[in-house]
Amino acid sequence: MIIEEEFSVDAPLEHVWACIRDPAFVAPCVPGCQDVEDIGGGAYRAAVKVGIGPIKTVFKLDIEVLEETPPNFARVETRGQENTNASRLTAKSELTLTASGDDATRVHYKSDVQVVGRLAKFGLGIMKKKAKTLGAEFAENFRLAAEKTAVA
Amino acid sequence: MDFHQPTSLDQTLALLAADPEALPLAGGATLVAMLNAELIEPSALVSLSAIDELQTIEAAPEGGLRIGAMLSHATLAAEGRLAGGHAVVRQAAAQIAHPSVRNIGTLGGAVAHGDPSSDLPAALVAADARIEVAGSTARRRVAAEDFFEDYLTTALQEGEMVTAIILPAQPAGAFGHYEKFARVHGDYATLSVAVVLAMKEGKCSFARIALGAAGPTPVRVPDAEACLLGSALDEDTVQAAAALLVEACDPVDDVRGSAEYRLMLVPRLLARALGTAAAA
Repeated sequence: MIIEEEFSVDAPLEHVWACIRDPAFVAPCVPGCQDVEDIGGGAYRAAVKVGIGPIKTVFKLDIEVLEETPPNFARVETRGQENTNASRLTAKSELTLTASGDDATRVHYKSDVQVVGRLAKFGLGIMKKKAKTLGAEFAENFRLAAEKTAVA
Repeated sequence: MDFHQPTSLDQTLALLAADPEALPLAGGATLVAMLNAELIEPSALVSLSAIDELQTIEAAPEGGLRIGAMLSHATLAAEGRLAGGHAVVRQAAAQIAHPSVRNIGTLGGAVAHGDPSSDLPAALVAADARIEVAGSTARRRVAAEDFFEDYLTTALQEGEMVTAIILPAQPAGAFGHYEKFARVHGDYATLSVAVVLAMKEGKCSFARIALGAAGPTPVRVPDAEACLLGSALDEDTVQAAAALLVEACDPVDDVRGSAEYRLMLVPRLLARALGTAAAA
């Protein structure tokens, strides 16, 4: 499934780029993110807890930045699996930052997400809605944090 | 995984309070399917099948009906007291899946599961039902409209369970109708419309409408109902009400239909549901 969203941050492009490339900054903005580890070479490990009603899981993610053009573009590949190995996900994402004036930045991301295993038995329609909700929560958390640090 | 089969509500609530990972097991129509699909991993199942007080249907003191959580869809589908405005609940129960599922699936189970594309949530919102909830320390009632919060997410807190559904007395002369559109007989709805409607001298005097499979919870728009009041349910008025409902919908794209297709069904099914209820 393709997930594509855009949001705006009231902060200069360079600042937003610095924030988004800092795992310690991004991790607390990701809903359910439990820990994140920088393993060097543009690669990270993270654990993210997600759930819909009684269906709950923790995904262990390997995130790799495959290509980047600071301060505008990054191509990221994410591979993840549940603790029990019962589901796997891969996501190929592209992140684009565009300055809109001196003090505002538009953040656009597009992900092609594939889920296989037990969670794929669950409706893709609802999963996509859930991804959208989590994306909106992330955008709001990130926007607030980035705007706060830009002022400081 | 442990299995318990208590014979009283108090024992059940104590078991649920003692173990936050335990789940109450009603009919199992959905819960067992989810277990089989390895979507859930409860530490224990607490069967509700041996608790007599969950099995009764009785007149509620304030008028209307109090229906125990463990009554099956098949029982509701054949319940003569679900007449007039309450018929919307009987019709919804009668259209759930197939006879084998209706024989095991229960009212309380369907409510607690909170799947917006299942049939009962929309019908219960249209009927202005109250969900009776019990926890180890208190019992409370929640309006159906507030009970369903998101996909598979309800107002139930840890250790709480659904014990009964209370259907209030419906307005005099009201009729209920549940209009379900599905790909094939027995499937989940692509979209459904539940209405309770009263007509007086050819004009609409009461309307309560809820849509199923139209968003994360049953969709109800009081303004859409208000716009029908006093009208003869002419096409323009019904279309105006449908437009207000469509604005509030946020359906999923899935194998049962695209979001766009579901939205196109709203005016058509609404007209059908209102027409049938008005002619009843």
